[in-house]
Amino acid sequence: MKYKGRTVITSVVITAVFVGLGVRLAFLHLRPLPETLSRIESGRHLEQETRGPRGRILDRNGNMLALDIAAKHVCADPKFISKNGNMQDVCTALSSKLSMNRAEVWELLNQPEKEYVRIKKFMREDALEPLRAMNLKGVIFEDVPIRDYPKGVLGAHVVGYANFEGIGSAGMEQTMNAKLQGVAGLRISQKDGRRHEIYSQRTVDIDPQSGADVYLTIDQQIQHFAEVALDNLVAKYHPNAAWAIVQNVRTGEILAMASLPTFNLNRFSTAPAEWMRNRGINYTYEPGSTMKAMIVASALDCGAVRDTDIFDCENGAWFYAGKMLHDSHPYGNLTVADIIKKSSNIGAAKVALQMGNTKVYQSLRSFGFGERTGLELPGEDAGIVWKTDRWSKLSISRIAMGHEVLVTSMQMLSAIGAIANDGVRMKPLIVHKVVNTRGETILAPPPQELSRPIRPETSKLMRRLLARVTQPGGTAPMAALPGYLVAGKTGTAQKVDLVNGGYYNNKYMASFVGFLPVENPAISIIVVADEPQQGGYYGGTVCAPYFREIADQTVRYLRIPPEGFTTEYLTDIETSGSSEESISE
Amino acid sequence: MKKRQITRSRKAQVRIPFPVVLANILVFVAVFGLSYVWLCARCDTLGQDIKRLETVQRNTRRLLINEQDRWSSKLSPSSLDRALKRHNLAMRLPDEQQIVRVRNGANATATALAYNK
Repeated sequence: MKYKGRTVITSVVITAVFVGLGVRLAFLHLRPLPETLSRIESGRHLEQETRGPRGRILDRNGNMLALDIAAKHVCADPKFISKNGNMQDVCTALSSKLSMNRAEVWELLNQPEKEYVRIKKFMREDALEPLRAMNLKGVIFEDVPIRDYPKGVLGAHVVGYANFEGIGSAGMEQTMNAKLQGVAGLRISQKDGRRHEIYSQRTVDIDPQSGADVYLTIDQQIQHFAEVALDNLVAKYHPNAAWAIVQNVRTGEILAMASLPTFNLNRFSTAPAEWMRNRGINYTYEPGSTMKAMIVASALDCGAVRDTDIFDCENGAWFYAGKMLHDSHPYGNLTVADIIKKSSNIGAAKVALQMGNTKVYQSLRSFGFGERTGLELPGEDAGIVWKTDRWSKLSISRIAMGHEVLVTSMQMLSAIGAIANDGVRMKPLIVHKVVNTRGETILAPPPQELSRPIRPETSKLMRRLLARVTQPGGTAPMAALPGYLVAGKTGTAQKVDLVNGGYYNNKYMASFVGFLPVENPAISIIVVADEPQQGGYYGGTVCAPYFREIADQTVRYLRIPPEGFTTEYLTDIETSGSSEESISE
Repeated sequence: MKKRQITRSRKAQVRIPFPVVLANILVFVAVFGLSYVWLCARCDTLGQDIKRLETVQRNTRRLLINEQDRWSSKLSPSSLDRALKRHNLAMRLPDEQQIVRVRNGANATATALAYNK
């Protein structure tokens, strides 16, 4: 009886407990209070948004120029560290391994009320290996993607950079941002008491998608040739800046675009804004004598002059429209062919006068001056070509020698490319193709014709006239390349004094623009130096040798065969021209 | 002895036979329940495996990208130049005079045509 009573009581208690639990369970499951329900849900709910990696930027041969790599933020739990009493050790380890000031680390760690502080952001994984090996308690490594530029400074102005939020902010990173940006992934699931995801409760799982890969028309090897040549130029002549562009004459593809000073893309935030300037497209200048090539080409094309026509170059000083116009060397009579070869300002002015204002203006516009070339890089300048109603009587003589107009190097290269390419001006291309993650090409800009400023016959003649510039007696024999005939034009322009008006007497823009091989042009190159400080300032002295350096390596790299003929090719023009041998600008 | 037999026969008489259908149902429910539990456990294991493999895949992909990045950096022209200099390999392109170009086609002579000037 005694035991029976205990049994009954125990059974009742157990039953009551289970009934209580059952009732609570029923309440929780069948009619939970809204706040209870939301508390449970929020505790369990797991929603992760994963950023899709940016697409890569590659050169035309698939060499990677920019890609997302895995990096880490180094974080810490000061509350945990202070509780465990190893603050000193952790602080010492972090400051030494992360190359940080100890006081700075201590200040971050000495916040015992906090459970999370970020010690250092965007650390590369390999740099963190020693720290991770120490297995410090309370130190957390947070995964984060980081944009990396494995080639460093190579093509910095073209590739550009993406900021720390992963948004393209310069160069191709900016222009192609929409295509490069990945699509974020989403995972909705539930987590257990240890905050681990319960896989079986995963309801939404969308993988992040990588952005498309952008292949540039740039060739990293040719880019390297250009950058090394510019380094050599800067080392010898100490200009404020120097830049060069290499273009495929037939398609308009940019093979290299270099500008000095430059910067390392992996440390873009520390570079001065001036270094980030892509001078090839956003620096406008008065081009000087390089403009004579376009003026003479147009004059020949419209029949205003013939290459054998002779002009009196007034022995180097000509009074026109109330102002004196000088040649750097005195010349008497020169044929049109020799005006190009000797780069006579007076001769070019007289050729332009033969054309008249309207035709000169039209020719400048048809060569693309005064408008953007449409290159897919941010910040391209249009330059300035005033309409004829704003011209003075003097303007035509000054424009013929490359003053009173502002151009970019890209425009000048595009114009010389038209002369090389049978009179067809091609749109400069920088994007070779864009390929999505499935390997499908979603964009491949085809070569595009912009204008036809001259006829093919004029182009052929101009190629031969410009080839004489690099021959003995021309202004740029230093641009000549053994085995090839090189055509080109030098430019040496005094810089405009924007403060006092007029021109500086001692500040010059030196340039050389040309192409090769003459008979079947493949590449065109422009080299520009802003204010060479020592050793000379003529385009033929400062820029032509580096044009040659780039051309020499590029023709071999691209396996462009020599033409098999040299100066004999120009004999008929030589015999018809004058025999002066002095080199001038 | 007889009394014993009577008791046994009484027990035999009061024993209620367990219904076969119910037994089958219970067996079925038990098997079903056990299968369910086994499947749940299996799903959990597979889920954990998938999570582990996802982590492995993520880490491997990260490693691959980082290695590609390092390789790409090593293949940059300036790195190659530095490597050549480090090993005292003074490599340069041949001069025009050092090159003999051979042409083929209609105008080719029996011997190589060198036309360097």
